[in-house]
Amino acid sequence: MATPKHVLKSNLNDSCKRMTDLIFRYLTDRLTPTLKREFEQHLRLCPDCMNFLNTYKKTVSLAGSLSANEIPHDVRTNVLAFLRRKMPGIAVFFSL
Amino acid sequence: MSAMQPFDASSPQISIPRAATGREPARETRAAREPRRRKSAAENSEIIERLQNGDQEALEAVFKLYSGKLYSVAQRILGEAADTEEVIQDVFWTVYRKAKSFKGDSQFSTWLYRLTVNAALGRVRRSKKKKEVDYEEFLPKFQKDGHHLVRPVVDWSDTLDEKYAQRQLQTLIGKALDQLKPIDKSVIVLSDLEGLSDREIAAALSLTISAVKTRLHRARLFLRGFLAVQLGHSAA
Repeated sequence: MATPKHVLKSNLNDSCKRMTDLIFRYLTDRLTPTLKREFEQHLRLCPDCMNFLNTYKKTVSLAGSLSANEIPHDVRTNVLAFLRRKMPGIAVFFSL
Repeated sequence: MSAMQPFDASSPQISIPRAATGREPARETRAAREPRRRKSAAENSEIIERLQNGDQEALEAVFKLYSGKLYSVAQRILGEAADTEEVIQDVFWTVYRKAKSFKGDSQFSTWLYRLTVNAALGRVRRSKKKKEVDYEEFLPKFQKDGHHLVRPVVDWSDTLDEKYAQRQLQTLIGKALDQLKPIDKSVIVLSDLEGLSDREIAAALSLTISAVKTRLHRARLFLRGFLAVQLGHSAA
């Protein structure tokens, strides 16, 4: 497929490949002001890169949704039993 | 805590559809977290001192504070519940025995993450190796002039939540995560699930910060491509 005119018209020499390489720094706000401006200009002109960015962000968001902060009750019981065996002589320990 | 701030909907970045703005709602600023961080650091400092003096009740405090997080990290890296339990018990026993070796060069939590990831990766190394997926198959590809090889690039980000239940999406991303090399999976888990900074991840995994950034970006590109394929689109 030919390169759309709007992409060629961009004042960037930057390609979509370069934009993809910059996504990480863009999302962590680590691009220089000039690069950031150019990156965002490319995004406005290139729907492919905008769509790529959106799916990249969604991927990170989905990964974040896997975050958990719980230990199953039976695992906790077993781990505590293990630690009690390793550290005998404690009258009241891990009364969770 | 985090030098590497997760992106959020309120960031100064270009406006894009809300459905595709990554983690929502926006996270607290570092300044807003600071008082809690200091309080937490002070409490940790006291617990560590007690732990280093052999106070077993201090281990109980550490267990209460961190067992959920550490279990989650180990479970994600291992993917097998039985191994996870053994890793967690080894980690807490190590914490108690080796508390004196913690010199405070990193945050206490980073040390705990390091013990956990090392224990989990050790188990992975000893277990039967599963066939690794070729990353290249799921990474973006470009024409010679640097533009996307397959056009149009489909934005599937804003329809996912309508088409799939949250649990289905978590299964999908979990499956993608399991295709990663263990070290890359660890980087993703510590960064995108646990919110550690790249500096903390580097300390936890004995990598350079630069290596963390490179691995994180490449792993995210792979996950994105894998998801795209699972959803019936091109990875490119």
